[in-house]
Amino acid sequence: MQYLLLIYEDERLYGPDKNGPAIQEIVAKHMAFNKELGSARIAGAGLKSTSAATTIRTSKGTKTVHDGPFAETKEQLGGYYLIDVPDLDAAIAIAKKLPVLQDGSVEIRPLLGGA
Amino acid sequence: MSLAVLDQVAREASGRIVAALAARFRDLDIAEDAFSDACVKALEAWPQHGVPFDPAGWLYRTAERKALDALRRRRTRERLAPDPQPTEATQEDAMLDDARIIPDERLRLIFVCCHPAVSPESRAALTLRLVCGLSVAEIAQAFLVPEPTLAQRLVRAKRKIADAGISFEVPRPEAWHERLEAVLATIEIAYSKSHEDAANAGNHAAYASEVLQLTRTLVEMIPHEPDPLALAALVRYTEARRPARLDPQGCMVPLSQQDPALWSRPLIQQADLYLKRAWTLGAQNPRTLQAAIHGTWCWRKNVSEPAPWPQILALYDALLACRDDVVVRLNRAVALAEVAGFQSAFDELASLPAQDLQNFLPYHALRADLLRQAGRFTEAQAAYDAALALSPALAERRWLENQKRTLPSLSPRSEPQQ
Repeated sequence: MQYLLLIYEDERLYGPDKNGPAIQEIVAKHMAFNKELGSARIAGAGLKSTSAATTIRTSKGTKTVHDGPFAETKEQLGGYYLIDVPDLDAAIAIAKKLPVLQDGSVEIRPLLGGA
Repeated sequence: MSLAVLDQVAREASGRIVAALAARFRDLDIAEDAFSDACVKALEAWPQHGVPFDPAGWLYRTAERKALDALRRRRTRERLAPDPQPTEATQEDAMLDDARIIPDERLRLIFVCCHPAVSPESRAALTLRLVCGLSVAEIAQAFLVPEPTLAQRLVRAKRKIADAGISFEVPRPEAWHERLEAVLATIEIAYSKSHEDAANAGNHAAYASEVLQLTRTLVEMIPHEPDPLALAALVRYTEARRPARLDPQGCMVPLSQQDPALWSRPLIQQADLYLKRAWTLGAQNPRTLQAAIHGTWCWRKNVSEPAPWPQILALYDALLACRDDVVVRLNRAVALAEVAGFQSAFDELASLPAQDLQNFLPYHALRADLLRQAGRFTEAQAAYDAALALSPALAERRWLENQKRTLPSLSPRSEPQQ
């Protein structure tokens, strides 16, 4: 099955525009993690800060462009992996190994039709 | 006649049949629907042709064919290649006993139902429904939720299992520790529901035997962890005392007043073996200590032997050291009252957060008992009323009412009866 792993962390840990020293540390960890994932990894990337986010909002058929993320939250979507593994337990095992700097969450979402 | 057999077989074998179907077809809905289709088929066939030689095996084979039919229909609908035709049961199959025909996949199903990705309030309900074969109405009653709410919860949990890709494999040993806790907690909930009904008259009692089975299966599969062993011991000690829990008037008999001659010795012997192994693997483990407390009671030979209160108190002290919560403290206070007198128990009660315990029946029952021993009968009466207001099960209600009725009211300082 294919799962999207959505990584939520407090982006302030990485400094403004994700250029603090913490980013070096986490990038190195993700490189190692990528290697470990091997063929289970389909895709994955880190995202720039939510300060770079733009949201298109559709309301009653009208589309408007907004600065910033869809919702202000304490932890922000900071990156993702798309993986292909046999079942949820395998996805959980991978998500548990996924590097996070301090506190944070990884949401595991199966893809529609990703069986 | 055949309907009575069907009713009994459906109840006794549904867990095994549904588990085997779920493991084979990796689909809970198909397994459940196929089993109920097979029961409908039995309703037609059995009164006409007589009850089959092996009713459970018949239901399993029929459900298997129904499941294959359903899968074929689904594949046709989704324009996929059809599955192979179901094989008809052979004469040889019919001669096998159902233990060989129906593989025991219940443990696998328990791990699916109790997966940590399933919401905690759904796990026990789903296990009781699928593994123990209880009806939605029975489970709703046990968990005190409206039937539609519970039905919704089951539907959501099953959808989650299918959509999230929860595996139908028993997890590998390194994953057991985390997964096992959810399984054990679920079995504990299921068992405490069956145990609440001292009168053995309600629906809950029906799954006490399922719980015995489940714990045995768990211990066989996972023999080197203390928790499953301790739980297997605990439910056996508790079940062993079931025949002594009520007097002929249907009134609860407190543990210390139960006649050990009525307790089931075979169950206690089984429990002792489990406890011994649990104790060797982890003596300072809360579940092991709890099982040891129950065991200590069950080792009493007869009513003339003094109740083992000092040993019970020592075990509660050990339990408190590894799990300090109000329920443990309250239970310890009961033993403390017996060993050190009611004043010590009063002091202990006074140190507990009373506001957290207002809706906890054992708190009021213990307070009432201590007040009675202290000769404060008016307050004792109020405490019994507080306990009774929390809608106890019938047998316990009778006991509380009895206690309240026998409070000496005329001369407040007279010796209490009993």
